[in-house]
Amino acid sequence: MQEKEKQLTPDQFETVGYTMEEANKIDRPTISYWQDAWRRLRKNPVAMAALVVLIVLVILVIVGPNLRGYDYVNMNVTEKNLGSSTKYWFGTDSLGRDLFSRVWVGARASILIALVATTLKLVVGTLYGSVMAHFGGWVDELLMRVIEVINSLPSLLVTILIMMVLGNNLFALFVALSITAWCNTARQTRGMIKQLKESEYVYAAEVLGASPLHIILKHYVPNMLSILLLDASTAIPAFIFTEAGLSFLGIGLTSPEISLGVLISQGQQTMDFYPSQLFYPCAVLCIIVMAFNLLGDGLRDALDPRLRK
Amino acid sequence: MTKYIIRRLVEMALTLFIIATATFFLLEAVPGDPLTQRADRLPEQSRAALYERYGLDRPVMERYLTQMNNMLHGDFGESFVYAGQTVSGLLKDRLPVSARLGIQQMLLGVSVGLLLGILAATHARSPIDYAVVGLSVLLISVPHLVFGLLLQKVFAGTLKWFPTIGWPTGKDLWLGGWKYTVLPTLTGCFSYIATYARLLKTSMLDVINQDYVLTAESKGLSRGAIVRRHILRNSFIPVMTQLPMSVAMCITGSFFIESIFSIPGIGQYYVTAVQNQDLSIVLGETVLLALLYIVVLFITDVLYVVVDPRISMPGTSSR
Repeated sequence: MQEKEKQLTPDQFETVGYTMEEANKIDRPTISYWQDAWRRLRKNPVAMAALVVLIVLVILVIVGPNLRGYDYVNMNVTEKNLGSSTKYWFGTDSLGRDLFSRVWVGARASILIALVATTLKLVVGTLYGSVMAHFGGWVDELLMRVIEVINSLPSLLVTILIMMVLGNNLFALFVALSITAWCNTARQTRGMIKQLKESEYVYAAEVLGASPLHIILKHYVPNMLSILLLDASTAIPAFIFTEAGLSFLGIGLTSPEISLGVLISQGQQTMDFYPSQLFYPCAVLCIIVMAFNLLGDGLRDALDPRLRK
Repeated sequence: MTKYIIRRLVEMALTLFIIATATFFLLEAVPGDPLTQRADRLPEQSRAALYERYGLDRPVMERYLTQMNNMLHGDFGESFVYAGQTVSGLLKDRLPVSARLGIQQMLLGVSVGLLLGILAATHARSPIDYAVVGLSVLLISVPHLVFGLLLQKVFAGTLKWFPTIGWPTGKDLWLGGWKYTVLPTLTGCFSYIATYARLLKTSMLDVINQDYVLTAESKGLSRGAIVRRHILRNSFIPVMTQLPMSVAMCITGSFFIESIFSIPGIGQYYVTAVQNQDLSIVLGETVLLALLYIVVLFITDVLYVVVDPRISMPGTSSR
């Protein structure tokens, strides 16, 4: 009897209380990289505040000019250089135009220019970088030399030069802003793709017979996206600032056009007597640049798990 | 080392040649020529003489070769707009102005930035730290265009503590006329303060967690001695490598400041030349500024190796 009691049988090791199926079930939903990033971003109060401010800004930039219903292009001599009032929230400029509407039209131009220039930078940079990484060898070497030549010039110098050659118009501004900026993107793309090409999971995918398109869409693009997003978040405020600076110097957009730089430059001319005309465009410029910068910082923390402490 | 330096020098010469060529032909593409305005009202004969004087009657390739040859011999050309002004002559007057502005900005900005960085790192997670972080975010986010105008409005316009525009000349060029230089210097130094405070703080926090700091603490060294002898020394490498880059950025960074405060420096000169479509001046100054920039970058790369022996000689330059 005693012998038999000591004998261990498999049924003594039966799991009690739950089935194997339940044990293997993952309770929490699996979340993707982007959901994870979004969750982390949401926990960052500064970045969320910046995001809210940006959303408000975008809404204002779209509807702002029509909000008060005043003519912001033609002059109105009877009501010039007014201060802030309930009628004109930001006052009027030296030609009697409603500054509130003008500031938002200007901000709209500045943001649009920055967005287009950023898109150009990203598209050109990614294509160039992929070509470098894909062909390698002497093509890589040659294309890298081109980047080195461009990088050995102060970028503001090139920008001003291009503006001079192409004239003061929107197209020239896009080219001038993005002509040096894409180098950085190209280099990052090249590094990333070269690294991915060597990685085991891409190799495994190739061995398993995945098509190049599948590898590009499933492995390259998702890895590139976060880098490109970060790139964009630092490029946008930089472009907005450069555009404002160029227009201020009189090399970017000029007077009949409206951008924050143009408004600031007009504000400087009358700043001794009517400081509000300088103050409002400057304040909006600062808020835009700061919101983009803070959101960018938050995105960096959220998107790059390696940097997380 | 010698081989590397020679290789870099050859590369630099090549780069400079490419830049000069590209700039020349870019400027050729500008519609109209710079003499049009001046020559418009002149009789036919004088106009021809004027074109001949500046060599504009000859074909593009010939002018290109002459220009390159002249630049090799240190002659960067004469202004199309103001007769008799040469690039070299104007630079002699204007470079010291920009240099003083740049030096003052960097001295003030870097020293204050480093001090704030040390403060933030030694008082990590205290109100001082948060204040420094907040300040640097603010200083980075507010464009110095706005800072310049704001300072000009408040301290020159409203309070009248400093003159609105201008710059010391003559014998005050280097050491006098401080009241003129205060606002431009302040405007320019803010971005350095922010950059260096952030940089040194991050670098010091990395070092603080190292084992040798723990050893120094366990030996019973005072906090000050640890910070001075162990932490600071080892966290200076990123600062050392950032410095020459700042010098290089300083060359074009002052364009806006010079414009706001009407400072007769090279930046303002360049912008004016661009607005006047003064092609020869633009070409000459672009090449000269590029030369300056390239030389600074070269010094950086050599310094990297000299300061930190751990960095091996880069075979293919990664810049």
